[in-house]
Amino acid sequence: MAKITDEIRKEVKEIVYSFFAEECEADIVQINENTSIINDLDGDSLMFLELIEIFKKKYSLDIELKVIGKYAVKHPVSTIGQLIDMQLLIIEHENHLLELDH
Amino acid sequence: MPDNQIAFVFPAFPGDYTDHPGKTLPGFEEQFNSLLARAAGFTDPELAGFGFEVCNFLQDELRTQYITYIYSCTISVVFRKAHISPVITAGYSMGIYAALFDAGAISFETGLQLIKYAYISLRASLGKEKYAMGTFIGLSEIDILQLIDQCSLRVEITNQNAAYSFVVSGYQTDIHKLIELAKEEGALHARDLAVSIPYHSSYLKDGATDFADQAGHLTIKAPGFAVISMIDQISLSTPEIIRQEICRNLFQPLNWYKTMQVLLSRNIGTYAECGPSSGLAKNAKFVDGVKFFPLPSILPGS
Repeated sequence: MAKITDEIRKEVKEIVYSFFAEECEADIVQINENTSIINDLDGDSLMFLELIEIFKKKYSLDIELKVIGKYAVKHPVSTIGQLIDMQLLIIEHENHLLELDH
Repeated sequence: MPDNQIAFVFPAFPGDYTDHPGKTLPGFEEQFNSLLARAAGFTDPELAGFGFEVCNFLQDELRTQYITYIYSCTISVVFRKAHISPVITAGYSMGIYAALFDAGAISFETGLQLIKYAYISLRASLGKEKYAMGTFIGLSEIDILQLIDQCSLRVEITNQNAAYSFVVSGYQTDIHKLIELAKEEGALHARDLAVSIPYHSSYLKDGATDFADQAGHLTIKAPGFAVISMIDQISLSTPEIIRQEICRNLFQPLNWYKTMQVLLSRNIGTYAECGPSSGLAKNAKFVDGVKFFPLPSILPGS
């Protein structure tokens, strides 16, 4: 279980913003925490999966995709801010993510 | 322009044509209209009414295959006129016909006939039962097989796009059941692909036999460069092997993930998706080392 520091929080935010700016050919300054991933950026599930893979590699995470999928069903993500929060929870709790609901 | 060896990959059919890459490809529009008119005269006059703005035929499984094939052949011709040839090519699912055209193994008209014969043969073999295909992202192959087994679903995994991305074909009710189960199991994405033929499944074996009989008279030549099978990743090097491939491609499972890895192992540095969408290029992000380039960037002088 990783401790989420301000540095990690900043790093995750930067990665998410840069990722969507590049993938969706969007101006990074136009992206903020309230930006809708689907409506404003035309994002899709493959992008979500790609982003998860980036974080899995970067932080050597031990987490199954279906754990994230089960969590996402109960806690759907629609904005960039919500996505960053979820990524931080994934980094912090890895395969124990679902225990947050108990 | 990238300076290394190129692989062309040809998609099946898209969900829409908005932002299709041909818009920015010099010479595309004129060539597309020419091939569209040829196809309308040869096989289906209604094709002449196609327009990118209205995106007609998207609900018509046969005509949307024709349009995608015409589109892909157009890109092939545009590149060939610019003296750009791939060293290797592969067709995703029904994109095999455009890949064979690109490699010089079949004529444009033969490709149209193959599409028509395949559709008619498969459709006729299925009777009144309803079939479907679904896409599943975020579960492993074992997870999906367990769900199928648990409920004895009449479906089969018919393609692997990436480590955690699969296509399943089978009876419509069972595909819909699998979609529900997959979401409960934690799939990041699961949906119906909105096609009525369960491509690449054993349910099509009889239809594929009929297709092989109908297509037997068509001329097929040896390809000018390697065309890779999506079934077992062999090189389709002779007319006889190609004849077998276009038949088994209809009823045997594919593996796009392995196909991309085989292309990668041949030291291909540049990949181009020769079709109206960017689905294959997006999917390739899950294969380390594969880099797709926008079509206009491959032309000389770009």
